[in-house]
Amino acid sequence: MAADSEPESDVFEITDFTTASEWERFISKIEEVLNDWKLIGTFSGKPLEKGIYTSGVWEEKSDEISFADFKFSVTHHYLVQESSDKDGKEELVEDALPLPMQDLLCMNNDFPPRAHCLVRWYGLREFVVIAPAANSDAVLSESKCNLLLSSISIGLGNTGCQVPLFVQIHHKWRRMYVGECQGPGVRTDFEMVHLRKVPNQYTHLSGLLDIFKSKIGCPLTPLPPVSIAIRLTYVLQDWLQYFWPQQPPDIDALVGGEVGGLEFGKLPFGACEDPISELHLATTWPHLTEGIIVDNDVYSDLDPIQAPQWSVRVRKADNPQCLLGDFLTEFFKLCRRKESTDEILGRSAFEEDGKETADISHALSKLTEPAPVPIHKLSVTNMVHSAKKKIRKHRGVDESPLNNEVLNAILLFLFPDAADKLTDGSETRPTSSAGSNPPPESEEYNLFSQFKSAPSDSLTYKLALCLCMINFYHGGVKGVVHLWQEFVLEMRYRWENNYLIPGLASGPPDLRCCLLHQKLQMLNCCIERKKARDEGKKANITDRSPGGSSGDTGKAADHSGGDYQKETDKEKEVGKSWESWSDSEEEFFECLSDTEDLKGNGQENGKKGGSKEGGKEFTNFKPEGRLHQHGKLTLLHPGEPLYIPVTQEPAPMTEDLLEEQSEVLAKLGTSAEGAHLRARMQSACLLSDMESFKAANPGCCLEDFVRWYSPRDYIEEEVVDEKGNVVIKGELSARMKIPSNMWVEAWETAKPVPARRQKRLFDDTREAEKVLHYFAVQKPADLARHLLPCVIHAAVLKVKEEETLEDISSVKKIIKQIISHSSKILRFPNPEDKKLEEIIAQIMSVEAIIARARSLKAKFGIEKCEQEEEKEDLQRFVNCLLEQPEVSVVGAGRGPAGSIIHKLFVNAQRVATMTPLDEELKRSGSADERRLISGAVADFPPPAGREVILRTTVPRPAPYSKPLPQLSVAGEQARWAPAASVSVLTVPSFDRGCFSICGCEMEPQEPFSSDT
Amino acid sequence: MDEDVLTTLKILIIGESGVGKSSLLLRFTDDTFDPELAATIGVDFKVKTISVDGNKAKLAIWDTAGQERFRTLTPSYYRGAQGVILVYDVTRRETFLKLDNWLNELETYCTRNDIVKMLVGNKIDKENREVDRNEGLKFARKHSMLFIEASAKTCDGVQCAFEELVEKIIQTPGLWESENQNRGVKLSNKEEGYGGAGCGGYCSML
Ligand SMILES: Nc1nc2c(ncn2[C@@H]2O[C@H](COP(=O)(O)OP(=O)(O)OP(=O)(O)O)[C@@H](O)[C@H]2O)c(=O)[nH]1
Ligand SMILES: [Mg+2]
Repeated sequence: MAADSEPESDVFEITDFTTASEWERFISKIEEVLNDWKLIGTFSGKPLEKGIYTSGVWEEKSDEISFADFKFSVTHHYLVQESSDKDGKEELVEDALPLPMQDLLCMNNDFPPRAHCLVRWYGLREFVVIAPAANSDAVLSESKCNLLLSSISIGLGNTGCQVPLFVQIHHKWRRMYVGECQGPGVRTDFEMVHLRKVPNQYTHLSGLLDIFKSKIGCPLTPLPPVSIAIRLTYVLQDWLQYFWPQQPPDIDALVGGEVGGLEFGKLPFGACEDPISELHLATTWPHLTEGIIVDNDVYSDLDPIQAPQWSVRVRKADNPQCLLGDFLTEFFKLCRRKESTDEILGRSAFEEDGKETADISHALSKLTEPAPVPIHKLSVTNMVHSAKKKIRKHRGVDESPLNNEVLNAILLFLFPDAADKLTDGSETRPTSSAGSNPPPESEEYNLFSQFKSAPSDSLTYKLALCLCMINFYHGGVKGVVHLWQEFVLEMRYRWENNYLIPGLASGPPDLRCCLLHQKLQMLNCCIERKKARDEGKKANITDRSPGGSSGDTGKAADHSGGDYQKETDKEKEVGKSWESWSDSEEEFFECLSDTEDLKGNGQENGKKGGSKEGGKEFTNFKPEGRLHQHGKLTLLHPGEPLYIPVTQEPAPMTEDLLEEQSEVLAKLGTSAEGAHLRARMQSACLLSDMESFKAANPGCCLEDFVRWYSPRDYIEEEVVDEKGNVVIKGELSARMKIPSNMWVEAWETAKPVPARRQKRLFDDTREAEKVLHYFAVQKPADLARHLLPCVIHAAVLKVKEEETLEDISSVKKIIKQIISHSSKILRFPNPEDKKLEEIIAQIMSVEAIIARARSLKAKFGIEKCEQEEEKEDLQRFVNCLLEQPEVSVVGAGRGPAGSIIHKLFVNAQRVATMTPLDEELKRSGSADERRLISGAVADFPPPAGREVILRTTVPRPAPYSKPLPQLSVAGEQARWAPAASVSVLTVPSFDRGCFSICGCEMEPQEPFSSDT
Repeated sequence: MDEDVLTTLKILIIGESGVGKSSLLLRFTDDTFDPELAATIGVDFKVKTISVDGNKAKLAIWDTAGQERFRTLTPSYYRGAQGVILVYDVTRRETFLKLDNWLNELETYCTRNDIVKMLVGNKIDKENREVDRNEGLKFARKHSMLFIEASAKTCDGVQCAFEELVEKIIQTPGLWESENQNRGVKLSNKEEGYGGAGCGGYCSML
């Protein structure tokens, strides 16, 4: 049976399709889509609330259908409504007009700020548009248009769909539509007229009313009243009274530590051009009735000042040039440079380092020469720059990328200790520029660990900012290379002459910071140790009779002792454990064992006794290198107090060294031997500590050491001895007792040698040279990548600081996002360029928003406003302008914002009329405009846009429509809406109008092709 | 590199001295318990490949010394770790009380904020328990960690602890994917390799 019926139905369908024409098929597809989307039937809906078209959510649904092989897209646009019950109570709405026709008459959503043009023109909450699928396609011929129009008409009729259906005709950009809406016995035709030349009567209300009435052709007299809504839009482009204040800083002016008003260590901020380009003022008369006002070609009551409603929107400049953004972008470009330093500057400035460093006359030493002149002058005139001299020599050109003044100012900024020496040297000035840095421990200060940059008061951070500025203003990459070379020379100078590097936290490299910062800290550790050693040597020489063994130590740096006394003192306070060996006996720190014998204070005996080793031998040499007594413990055997020894600090490490080390350790593999070797390689520190301990505690044993060093490995138990007393018995833990374990082994080899005479655990000379070499081989791109986190960090702080002045909530949110985004990206090694670019773009967008806020604030004179309340209102108004498409002006032309806007227009007008008037007159053809600018200067320019909505309800029987009684009452409305939207505002006259006449059989007076 | 290994994960074991870190690791890698294990000096290192949900993962596990004196070095091993096992000894309350310090250190030095953390209460085979299971649980919840009690001696919970941790890491794709990516870049990056173990740096100066 099934087999029988199936072919039958197939045949039926096939037959249906073969006999159908393309046109019929097209119509059935339209019907299918309307069915699929469930648009059939009667909808009831609440009257539209005021403003719902802006505040509500609009959605759309699309499908594709074709007419022969021409593809159309069908789109349903609709306002999302809470409950759109369909077919609810059909009887109740039976004689009511279809919803779209009711919407035509509803005035609650006239002139929505942001809506589909059909919504704007016809006030519809829902409609379907059929348009050519390809953007370039167009329905041009009149016959095709008519064919489409009849298709939708039939489709609507067949389905009973009450949703208005439109067809887009002509080129898409012209936004021409024709459409139809059908209800039981009623029909609305939507038509449009596009006029290239606007006839005079279209330019004023009375002319429009005449046309409207004649088109309605209403048989009744007198005509029912026509309700009118008018909106005139004025554009302000010249902010004449207000000059955009921010100019790119003048780079050539150098004012004490500042270049062109830009302080070192600060990033610039703000737009260089006005980020707000236009202001559009819409003046609206929402409810006028015919006869109340006069607006004809000689006179108009439509004075914008008197309009009951004002609303404003601003047009933002697309990509305003902003300083911070430019700085960041330019710096980021450095990361992509391929050249090496040498390629940029010519032959290496470093090749002769070894020979020449001794002669390098240095900024510091020059500055430290006593001189009565103020610092700036001194720095400008006296400093000589070796790197520059060298560069000059090599290139044979008498100019270097950075000029002396700028370079000196920057060096002084980076190394303020040089200047401190000059003033009086008593107090170290905080190295940061005053007040600009967040206090330590604050969330902002600790941003560096999220960004893996460097603290905002550190040398690294300041260097990053200086390089950023030089890159932008002073010779680009060449300037960057030049400053970097100077910087590296300074580092070498400080290393060789034992001057600590300022602006770095003391202690081992901070692994939370960028590698470059860690390297600088590492260098400082080296300098600190070398300096302590050298000073120890010197102290030793002066202590003893001159000529002793000073021959060996002759290479001590010969700087005058007084200059850096302060630092020495400070350092002694910081590193307590250093104290004991940094003063008197320091020279032995690095000496070979044979020179130890030179030291004549009776240790030889002790050494000989102790050198026999073994854990438990009782020796009586003089204890050495004690730090302090342990609180409670006494030695197990002699019963003497246990002393904690002075120990060597473990070697400081930067993350790359650590990486290397862990690779080496990992390579040893996982075998027992590998593990043993690994432990051995890491036991240097243990051995050193054991030796120090032995030296400080003559006669000690491993148990003593373990009790101090690893208390958990000494197990004490209460036991009852033979006499019945409870005594505490202790012993090493099982794991310590394993024969020949690493701890026992080390203990047996350890000699009683105090830390100061041990072999250094940390080879500062080697490490310092490694760091300096690393610096020297950095290409500009490497440098930029090292420092980019600092620059981003600084930019974020800058944006944050600027935001607090404006207090814009949306910006706060974006800044939070930027921070969390960056902290994810910057903490990884080698972040992707694309992600970095994203961060920079985010920062730039925030800068633009803030710049816009400032521009508006200045334009509305918020700072000048004296009344507190008014000021707040204005502030709120400006914030709304930034975030909403259109903002209504409280009090219209008479409110505080309104009167400011009025003034802005008046001023612009005043200036505009100073230009020859004839030209203006020639251009403006319409009487309307002539009227507005003739005679006394008008406050406002001719309106750039004019929208008029005329509504009326009249009965319109039609001779050949269905003879249904409802037909006698037809909703009728004409809407003349200038499509003069933002994009055509610059054209002084209307280039387009559209007319919709709805109701039965309104014949189009002007066919839509009238302009072609 | 093994072809079928999905990823190499870096895992770290930290905690006070003597809580049984090395013993747990030995139990996991070699399935033995050695009461004669020496106190760790510096860091030790073991490798094991395991498969979780059909994915093979190579674990590079760094066992650190809990001993105070070695701690200055160990934070450097936090770098780049995707998972960390924080161990305390259920029979020694003070090792539990020190957990906060360890978390602080972890926070400071570990390079990623999404590192997976597991808390292990070890030595549950012993009689004289001082830390209740619930206390451990509470601590773990407070700090969003995985939690398990274990015994390196009896094998309880050990395998499970490592597997759970790895599973969790693999479930956090950003965690291991980006690490692998970056590692790939890093190998080709010359600047990082300067002054390698072979050459002392100074000698290559000029
Ligand atoms: N009863 C028992 N003892 C254990 C357990 N785990 C470890 N131990 C013992 O506890 C002591 C310390 O163990 P280790 O593994 O060396 O401890 P660790 O945490 O590595 O110590 P450090 O290397 O110093 O940081 C050893 O004697 C082990 O035998 C366990 O689960 N049960
Ligand atoms: Mg261990």
